Amino acid sequence: MGKLILLLLSLIAFCNIVAAVFEDQVGKFDWRQQYVGKVRFSHFDTHLQSSKKVLLATESNVFAALNTRTGDLFWRHVDKTGPEGNIDAVLHHGQDAVLVVGNGRVLRSWDISVGGLNWEIVLDSGSFQSACLVGQQGTVKHAAVLKKSVISLHYLSNGHQKWIENLPESETVNYQAVHSGGNGQVYALGVVPHSHIAIVAYSVEDGEIIKQISVDAPWLSNIPASCAVIGQGMLTCVDSTTMSLYTLDLYQQLQMTQIPLQALGLEVDPDFHPYLVSHQPNPARQPLSEFLLHLGPDHHLLLQLNNGQVVTLRDFKPALLVAFATTGEKTVAAVMSPKNKTACSINLFSAETGRRLLDTTLIYTVDPTGGKPERLHVQAFLKKDDSVGYRVMVQTEDHALTFIQQPGRVMWTREEALSHVMTMEMVDLPLTGTQAELEGEFGKKAAIQDGLTSMVLKRLSSQLIMLQAWVAHLWKLFYDARKPRSQVKNEVSIENLSRDEFNLQKMMVMVTASGKLFGIDSKTGSILWKHYLENIPDNAAFNLMVQRTTAHFPHPPQCTLLIKDKDSGLATLHVFNPIFGRKSQVAPPVLSQPILQSLLLPLMDQDYAKVLLLVDDQYKVSAFPSTKNVIQQLQETAASIFFYLVDSSQGRLSGYRLRTDLSTEQVWEVVIPTEVQKIVSVKGKRSNEHVHSQGRVMGDRSVLYKYLNPNLLAVVTESTDLHQERSFIGILLIDGVTGRIFHEAVQRKARGPVHVVHSENWVVYEYWSTKSRRNEFSVIELYEGMELYNSTVFSSLDRPHAPQVLQQSYIFPSSISTMEATLTEKGITSRHLLIGLPSGGIMSLPKMFLDPRRPEIVSEQSREENLIPYAPELIIRTEWFINYNQTVSRVRGIYTAPSGLESTCLVVAYGLDIYQTRVYPSKQFDVLKDDYDYMLISSVLFALFFATMISKRLAEVKLLNRAWR
Amino acid sequence: MAAPGGQGGAGALSTRGGSGVRRMKWALELSLGGTRSRDRQGGQGDVVYPIGYSEKPVPDTSIQETDKNLVEKRCWDVALGPLKQIPMNLFIMYMSGNTISIFPIMMVCMMAWRPIQALMSMSATFKLLESSSQQWLQGLVYLIGNLLGAALAIYKCQSMGLLPTHSSDWLAFIEPPQRMEIMGGGMVL
Repeated sequence: MGKLILLLLSLIAFCNIVAAVFEDQVGKFDWRQQYVGKVRFSHFDTHLQSSKKVLLATESNVFAALNTRTGDLFWRHVDKTGPEGNIDAVLHHGQDAVLVVGNGRVLRSWDISVGGLNWEIVLDSGSFQSACLVGQQGTVKHAAVLKKSVISLHYLSNGHQKWIENLPESETVNYQAVHSGGNGQVYALGVVPHSHIAIVAYSVEDGEIIKQISVDAPWLSNIPASCAVIGQGMLTCVDSTTMSLYTLDLYQQLQMTQIPLQALGLEVDPDFHPYLVSHQPNPARQPLSEFLLHLGPDHHLLLQLNNGQVVTLRDFKPALLVAFATTGEKTVAAVMSPKNKTACSINLFSAETGRRLLDTTLIYTVDPTGGKPERLHVQAFLKKDDSVGYRVMVQTEDHALTFIQQPGRVMWTREEALSHVMTMEMVDLPLTGTQAELEGEFGKKAAIQDGLTSMVLKRLSSQLIMLQAWVAHLWKLFYDARKPRSQVKNEVSIENLSRDEFNLQKMMVMVTASGKLFGIDSKTGSILWKHYLENIPDNAAFNLMVQRTTAHFPHPPQCTLLIKDKDSGLATLHVFNPIFGRKSQVAPPVLSQPILQSLLLPLMDQDYAKVLLLVDDQYKVSAFPSTKNVIQQLQETAASIFFYLVDSSQGRLSGYRLRTDLSTEQVWEVVIPTEVQKIVSVKGKRSNEHVHSQGRVMGDRSVLYKYLNPNLLAVVTESTDLHQERSFIGILLIDGVTGRIFHEAVQRKARGPVHVVHSENWVVYEYWSTKSRRNEFSVIELYEGMELYNSTVFSSLDRPHAPQVLQQSYIFPSSISTMEATLTEKGITSRHLLIGLPSGGIMSLPKMFLDPRRPEIVSEQSREENLIPYAPELIIRTEWFINYNQTVSRVRGIYTAPSGLESTCLVVAYGLDIYQTRVYPSKQFDVLKDDYDYMLISSVLFALFFATMISKRLAEVKLLNRAWR
Repeated sequence: MAAPGGQGGAGALSTRGGSGVRRMKWALELSLGGTRSRDRQGGQGDVVYPIGYSEKPVPDTSIQETDKNLVEKRCWDVALGPLKQIPMNLFIMYMSGNTISIFPIMMVCMMAWRPIQALMSMSATFKLLESSSQQWLQGLVYLIGNLLGAALAIYKCQSMGLLPTHSSDWLAFIEPPQRMEIMGGGMVL
């Protein structure tokens, strides 16, 4: 037996070794950041005094626990996207958290200490309204779930349904709230809008209706928006039209009593819907008789309801946010009030008396690059002297969470806006100061201005500076080498940003849906700058363009973000410096017309900024920057500027030509009838893509030239008929300049979503085959043939021969989330496809496997060409996963950027998480390996050197001796 | 053979003498027999040779008629040398095959280098052939032989695929074509 255990142990140890083969490389080139999304519900774990957990349920359908000390994730559960995984309610009790998910479809209980699932049950259909914990005699054992027509009670221990009852008159009454005060009854509160309130009381024991009553309330339309249960079962509502509070005793069901707000000396701000906030610290007891009344955006009141009388305990004005928190028997209200422009102060007030607690001020500094505070989450705890201490988690408009301790120390900040990145770009970092100096001195402008002698002097001085920098660098290396490796930290800050030798470190500019822009260092993942754009509509479309790179030294790099409101069609431009995040001094033009599309031209103005053309809904074009120089250049080149627009709603593809007066002229139009199919996506080629090899070498050593049309577009359509027998997808290869259709393919019995990658001379797309019920890849490659028509210039207007089209399809064993192709500096490295899988893996599939020239029968020539024989299945090899065990949840996009090394491509996968790594599609052919033995090689070299020296000397001595003899 | 200070050395040896039989650094041989016997051997050798025998060969002074022919023959040998190599080279070519690996490459290099070297030192060869009457013909034959050898090497290169004769060999030098039109756009935002 002992031997067996030993064997098992050794096996386990062996397994661990195997799993950690590349452990030294983990996190060396890659990093991952996990996010949860915009917080909808939060609960601090008050079960244990020492607990440091906060539970978050978010709008991204994530349920997670954070460490309140560090802000790191303890655990995280990612549910389905969309309404199916939507978290409707969170009921937190002790060690358990009960979640209602998917519009009341599923009830789930989680163990919050480890994040394990306690139980899960599927509820009957019906739209979810409300849920609450139900206590009885001081203990909480049940949870009540109210749906449109039924109410059910479930055990907290195992989720089993205790009883389920139909709600009376559910066709006319909208039941919207459920309440339990711990007295053995559950109240379902419903409303007939502008008529009356319906109250049904159920017995907890057997679900029997104890009471059923309706009370007139012609002013009420929505219970959760304006009512709350306060104190001993008093349903209290506020109405802005009659300017009154209404109270109703749920237990006695008398008349509604109206208390005019004016009697309390209160007034509602115009255009503000007042609402009530009550607090029930323990579900087994009645809620507190104190409640909060919001009368205006910065006006809150702490009121007390005492025997039907409302007493004002405290008037908070101005107060941005107010929240209740309970610890032990004490309940406090935390109030955030503005202090000055850059800071807010938070104070605690006793809920019972409304008195301010001493020494509870906390200063919250408003981040000038962030949004306004939106919600306050308070963690209260008892100090040793029995006074109340607290920490707050402030949620701001830009989805950031900031956890603050008294007296204002920020413990951590989470930028949850990064859970929804819309678009991104990678920008080269600026050269270091000395390098920049060199660039500046020997730039074109300098050469014209200065004479020969001053240039020589400049050269000498800059060389001196370089020498100085080099010595400093050596000294730093030497200094660092003496310290242990763990202590050497290369803190990246905005000041010491500089390009590394191989341009592997870049600035990631990320645009998020909340309107917050981030500048992230690609090497470490640390956020270097952030900028919040206010008033960004929810459905805005973003288009990020790099107008000027860092290559034009005295001019700062410049990015332009086009933000378009999809409802109004109006767009704004935000021009900023991508390295420092600062708004540029260049004033963007005011766009009064709705903008259809933007177009970045390779033309540059005198300051090396690329010209941005904006096409408005009158098909007029405006340029930014629009200096005289630019207009002149545009007029000169107008004849060769074309653009295309795709209107998916009308199924229209149209191409336009620019005239010299900056008006446009339609050149071609293709209409795809929207009744049959709709255009899903249009993919052109990336403008920074280089193709090194113009053709492919055949087995007989002739060349099959690639058809490299930079103006080629791949248009994907899906059928409107989704029946599995009749659905189809179509792909159209069309020239964007002439509108000539080169190829058209229809995949019958196939359905989207279609993911397309278009690069070089190939298009790869993936779809779902409804016939065979599987995912399939298809690849189209275009070739010119054995001869080039014109090898020096490419003009779409002068290509008489249609390209040869080859196509092949494959079976893929998994569905995919997104797809992108690798990109390298010169395009010499072979290409891989980066495929984001729903499982969270990112796979690097060699393009070699997706090659329509893969032969079915192997011949001598195909072997010569290194073609893999055709096999319908593409297999997923685990070693192709570039993110090993670092799952990236819900990958929405993959961004690839070339680095300074031809072998290396930088990859960023973004979704709920962000993952950055490097890939080497053709292995690292231009870099020495990590484990390259410098010591061995150099020691061998030195040894040989000394050996020759010594043997030379010995030989001389020997010769001399011989001469003497 | 007497060394200075021999007395002192002998004295030192005599003190160590008891330890056993050793090789002496030096010794005085008092009897003359040994040296005499060596001398006697040399003397005996002189005695063995017959009378009239001379160790130096006597030069042949008679004039030979066949000399001229021999020179001709020798020159033809030089001239035909490269041609004679060809069958050998063909055999090597056949044996080494068309795969590209170190040995066939070395052989091809040798095959190509030797005729080139020979052609480079053409003038030296001509000097050799100067004495022949058919000097020009032999030179031509020599040249043709070497050229054939070089052609053979090139043919071998060709069959091994080392000559850039196909369009694919020049593929890497084709520049990407220049773009005439500027195009952009996309879905209506």
